Amino acid sequence: MATTTAALTISSSDLVGDALSLSTSKELHKADTTIGVDQTTGYAKVYLTSVQPIDIFPVIQENGSDPAGGFEDKTHWIYVCNKSETPTEFVTITISSQVIGKLYAGDWMWMPWSQSLDTHAGNLHADIELTPSVATGMFVDFAMFHEGIQYPDVDGDNAA
Amino acid sequence: MAKIDCSLSVTSDILPGLDISSTMTLKKADSEVGIELTSGLVRRSFTSTNQVDLVTAGAQNYGTPTASKSAKVYIKNVGSDSTKHFKIGKGTSSGSAAATAMVGNATTYWELGRLYGGDWMLIPWDAATTTGDITIQPSSAEKMDVEFMVFFE
Repeated sequence: MATTTAALTISSSDLVGDALSLSTSKELHKADTTIGVDQTTGYAKVYLTSVQPIDIFPVIQENGSDPAGGFEDKTHWIYVCNKSETPTEFVTITISSQVIGKLYAGDWMWMPWSQSLDTHAGNLHADIELTPSVATGMFVDFAMFHEGIQYPDVDGDNAA
Repeated sequence: MAKIDCSLSVTSDILPGLDISSTMTLKKADSEVGIELTSGLVRRSFTSTNQVDLVTAGAQNYGTPTASKSAKVYIKNVGSDSTKHFKIGKGTSSGSAAATAMVGNATTYWELGRLYGGDWMLIPWDAATTTGDITIQPSSAEKMDVEFMVFFE
């Protein structure tokens, strides 16, 4: 069984009156189990030269279908880091076009991700999208740890 | 100016060389100035499966997180049960056990992910009024606890 552990430390000596120190650590498990997640997209490092939004983690499920495996209810964890060192350069992170927040220079995020489908007729997906603030070039790193995702099939209909 | 450091370490044996180590210092938008405000660490208990707001934008008793500024949110399911989770979302909560429908526009809700016992997350937060609220929905009506902390300018 694979073991993946995510640990966080938040510290500050001057945010509040006394020193702040918070530490937590957790193994990543498959949904509703204590079995470790055993798949990953690997670690990507990209250089983006456009302010066009891009899908870094797309949901492939089409037209409300729920393919064998039920990816929506599986565990996924995503990491994104803006590697820019220029304070005014940020990336906007969205889920299905809804803004989660902005990662400024050096910022990272770590969150679980549900590969949900739109429950209305719009057939929108919970794609994780990223939009650089400048077209002059920004490095961004990202990775996903998970227990299952769907890849696009060769004829494009993603049907079984 | 305060200095808040957040360090992430991910170790994994899924692939060799996959470990992640990254530290960020929380700063105000478009600047080198550190974030100075926080909600403090908040703990809440839930005893129903209703979908409700966990972190709301706009005026709070600890300050006013707003969309145009920098903010980060830490959330942890402090339980230990691997079969119970919180659904964490962003947008408008239903207030009932039937979650708000997910539609990808600025006026509704989208599920971000699920925190099982012990799981934590740290995300940037676009604290837009109402639609920027962070929602939570327990998977069980048995008592479940969560902690959160907001850092903002």
